Amino acid sequence: MTSTTTSTGETTAIRVAARAVHATKIYGSESTEVRALDDVSVELPGGRFTAVMGPSGSGKSTLMHCVAGLDTLTSGQVFLGTLELGALSDKELTLVRREQVGFVFQAFNLLPTLTALENITLPLDLAGAKPDPDWLDTVVDTVGLRDRLSHRPSELSGGQQQRVAVARALASRPQIVFADEPTGNLDSRAGAEILAFMAAAVRDMGQTVAMVTHDPVAASYADAVVFLADGRVAGHLADPTPQTVLDSLKSLKG
Amino acid sequence: MLNVTLKGLAAHKRRLFGTCLAVFLGIAFLSGTLVLGDTLRANFDTLFADANAGTDAIVRSASTIEADGGRGPDLDGRTLVPSALADRVRSVAGVAAAEPSIEGYGQLIGNDGKAIGGNGPPRLAGNWITDPELNPYKLVEGRAPQTTGEVVVNRGAAEAGKLRVGDTTIVQTPEPVPVTVVGIASFGTGDGFGEVTFTAFNLQGAEAHVTKKPGVASSIVVRAEPGVNEEVLAERVRPLAGDGNEVLTGTQFTAESTDQIGRDFLDIFTTFLTVFAGVALLVASFSIYNTFSILVAQRSRESALLRALGAARAQIVTSVVVEALLIGLVASVAGLLGGVAIAGLLKGLFDSFGFSLPAGGLAFQASTAVICMVVGMVVTLAAGVFPAVKASRVAPVAALREHAVEAVRASRLRAVAGAVLTALGVAVVLSAVLGGGDSVLAVAGLGAVLTMVGVVVFGPVVARPAAGVVGWPLLRLRGVTGALARQNAMRNPRRTSGTAAALMVGVGVVTLFTVFAASIRSSIDDTVSRSFGGDLVVNTGSFGGGGLSPALAPELAALPEVRTAVGLGQGVVQVDGDGKRITVADVANLGKVLDLEVQEGALERLGPTEMAVSSDEAEAQGWSIGSTAGIRFVDGATASFTVAAIYDVGDVAGDYVVSRAAWAPHAGQDVDSQVLIGLEQGVGLTAGKAAVTAVTAAAGGASVLDRKEYVASVAQGVDMMLGIVYVLLFLAIVIALMGIANTLSLAIHERTRELGLLRAVGQTRRQLRAMVRWESVIIALFGTVGGLGLGVFLGWALVQAASAEGFATFAAPTGQLAVVLVAGAVAGVLAGLGPARRAARLDVLQAIGTS
Ligand SMILES: Nc1ncnc2c1ncn2[C@@H]1O[C@H](COP(=O)(O)OP(=O)(O)O)[C@@H](O)[C@H]1O
Ligand SMILES: [Mg+2]
Repeated sequence: MTSTTTSTGETTAIRVAARAVHATKIYGSESTEVRALDDVSVELPGGRFTAVMGPSGSGKSTLMHCVAGLDTLTSGQVFLGTLELGALSDKELTLVRREQVGFVFQAFNLLPTLTALENITLPLDLAGAKPDPDWLDTVVDTVGLRDRLSHRPSELSGGQQQRVAVARALASRPQIVFADEPTGNLDSRAGAEILAFMAAAVRDMGQTVAMVTHDPVAASYADAVVFLADGRVAGHLADPTPQTVLDSLKSLKG
Repeated sequence: MLNVTLKGLAAHKRRLFGTCLAVFLGIAFLSGTLVLGDTLRANFDTLFADANAGTDAIVRSASTIEADGGRGPDLDGRTLVPSALADRVRSVAGVAAAEPSIEGYGQLIGNDGKAIGGNGPPRLAGNWITDPELNPYKLVEGRAPQTTGEVVVNRGAAEAGKLRVGDTTIVQTPEPVPVTVVGIASFGTGDGFGEVTFTAFNLQGAEAHVTKKPGVASSIVVRAEPGVNEEVLAERVRPLAGDGNEVLTGTQFTAESTDQIGRDFLDIFTTFLTVFAGVALLVASFSIYNTFSILVAQRSRESALLRALGAARAQIVTSVVVEALLIGLVASVAGLLGGVAIAGLLKGLFDSFGFSLPAGGLAFQASTAVICMVVGMVVTLAAGVFPAVKASRVAPVAALREHAVEAVRASRLRAVAGAVLTALGVAVVLSAVLGGGDSVLAVAGLGAVLTMVGVVVFGPVVARPAAGVVGWPLLRLRGVTGALARQNAMRNPRRTSGTAAALMVGVGVVTLFTVFAASIRSSIDDTVSRSFGGDLVVNTGSFGGGGLSPALAPELAALPEVRTAVGLGQGVVQVDGDGKRITVADVANLGKVLDLEVQEGALERLGPTEMAVSSDEAEAQGWSIGSTAGIRFVDGATASFTVAAIYDVGDVAGDYVVSRAAWAPHAGQDVDSQVLIGLEQGVGLTAGKAAVTAVTAAAGGASVLDRKEYVASVAQGVDMMLGIVYVLLFLAIVIALMGIANTLSLAIHERTRELGLLRAVGQTRRQLRAMVRWESVIIALFGTVGGLGLGVFLGWALVQAASAEGFATFAAPTGQLAVVLVAGAVAGVLAGLGPARRAARLDVLQAIGTS
């Protein structure tokens, strides 16, 4: 898309893949009102791996959904690249999702009737676009699925299923990949694999990933961490290690 | 447990609604059929009771000849009695009044010059009975006829033809008789005897125009003095009645008329409708079964949990039984009531096809309620319990698994059983049809049922590959949307085939009738166009035995444009004691316009005691040229006739042909039903038709048809039946479509998460809707193609079985079958519309979150 290559100018070294500006999301009506997001402003820089952390119910998923065009804000703005999502229709949001965004959910990422390869190319097929074969090869090799491509999800382990999901998210070379607790259902080894693939996609392939996680170890794979609490940004951490993440979490509570 | 059931019911409102609707429609149709049957019976009863209310006895000839329909409507004839008998009867003690009654054919022409009355009910002319109590008609306007040119007409006919007192018009008896309407009569308090049109002359008028012989009448009607019992009266009249005549009491006569209607018409009519109610119910029960299977499968996770929590297997089944009973009860009661509306619609349907039925209040009998309730509850219960028992066998662990719990592959047992049943059914049908024998139709019917059952059992085995093949073009044409739709249609073969089976049965029956009708039609087309060598036909319509004056043919023949004009009349005689229909014709000229393919003898020189017979009949009777047979006419006269010609083609002329000279002396009303015309060389069709129409228009406007129109009109009866059959089967198809819609709704409910995922990764609403619709189309096409195959095969078998009796040769109407196929696809789109719309409305985030 047009915005992918847009540079914001000499002053900014790194382009912004997505950002939220004074984002507020309110669920329910007055008496039962829940402020899932309360005036959140964050930037997700391009070519970086950003982790989003915070206690359960702090608005992490809501933030992702709004930035990814799956949900709309009550007030404020979100941008994908330079494109403001607030003004878009359902149809336009759908097209944005399939062309500029990749998704990895915690579970149920794949259509049971399609093979692994068909699942990977699904967004491209829906767009009626031909996958770039070199890129597809790279992605498939990165996640190590070459010999599983014709299998159906029911024939794959949980870890393999998530790898297919990561491959699908990357296949269309999106502006940004959102992953909401992608390792939440996996054992630690399979989880580590997934995290390594995502880190590699950012490092070696120039992709942008934003990942929600509870796990300080998972967060340590990222280049930076954004902390949320009660729907507000509660802090930032660059070059996280498990230890610094834990420390930050502790100080947030304290 | 009941609590859980009720909560479950409330939670599945939409699916319940679909199930209820299927039961409702099936029962409503059944109920409507029964109500209509009872209503007609009751109405006919009152009509006949009214007609004979003042009649205590009737004297008539005991001699009657009846011939069954064969290739046309039934005909009968009864010998006339002397009118003078009335005078003698009047002298009997206890007789208050006795009058001759004449009843015959009389087509009344309306103010617009068109014939009044439809195809079904008789159009009668007779005498105005002067005794007001003997006469069921009452003057409501004007006066009784006094001269032979005056008539009273019934109010219904007067209104239909916009005739008023003082108007002049024509009655064809069948000669056109110019008359003045002097009175309008009601029948009891109604407009007429059902839809029958009645034109009453005075006695002299009726003798002159209807019997065409002075001094004879159809019967003598007798009224008793007050206090004289009708049986006593009949007893007293009997000695005077004379040889060959019989005396019936009013009650006996009414019962006889009612019986006859019951036997000839109502029984066939209700059987016919019940068959379609049966098809509708069968289709409905497929839909119910399928809906319950899915509901139970979806709930098996829940029920496995219940079982894991300790609920007994019986409790699971009980909860489904209760659910089925509730649905059966509600839907059957609703269907019962809806049947009243359906009865009205059915009546309207038959009216619109020209079969007018007597109107009147609807008769709703307790037996209707009982039958409908029992059938409705039993069908729903049976369709619900079977899947429930299956579900109760699901191991708790299996049910708690993440993926769909229903077995995806069809079992080997099913494959074997389905294949064996189908093969057996086909074998039975083939052996019956090819082997011949007495009960071909019965055995072939049994085979047909076996085949049908086999195909339904076998369905799930072929559903997966079949849906794959049917959906294959979508892969190319519709990309990933088509591929997803195809996969979805293939993923649960049992469900796909169960859903398609309902449609398959409906389409199968439609196809069967289409093929059979087309075969009959094409053989009629064949023989008629082969044998009819003329250019034009004057016709009175194929039903109701209308009449043309025998004078019309000579009049037409005199036209300069016309080379030959031959009238064909119809009548009944007894041949060696059996009633037979005969064709009466100007045999000298018949061969010029109609090629009967005479094998032996000379048709054109048939003498007054000679007849021509079809080769089929000659073979059946063991006759050859020179054989003789005893013929008895309606007037009681007998003669020995010699077979003087044998011909092959009986489609137009029937089995017997005699000359006009042989018939006319014995005919009460000598009537032609058609005139075949050959034009002079060089006269164009348009010019010829114009000339002929000018003559017939003056005589009351029978239709003038060219060859093509004539062939179409001979087959018109077939088309009319087919039209009615299609309308009736439409209901079954609608039920089947609702079944598809229901299955899709349930499937969408099951696949909520998948749909959410698809939308999240970029499927537009439009693509999602298309995906659901295409799945629906694949299922519908699977059912349609199966139904077409089944229907063509069974249609072929039926035609083979019937062709043993000389009815038809097989013809597959490819055009019509293609229409059925396209209609199946369109129906699939329609069935998918609702579910697709609902699926597209899903909230993406909620759908993803659904577990
Ligand atoms: N659809 C919804 N309706 C009402 N409240 C919601 C909805 N989705 C989320 N919430 C509320 O918004 C808050 C943030 O939710 P979420 O973003 O899912 O948190 P997290 O992902 O950080 O656990 C929570 O209090 C949650 O209950
Ligand atoms: Mg969350």
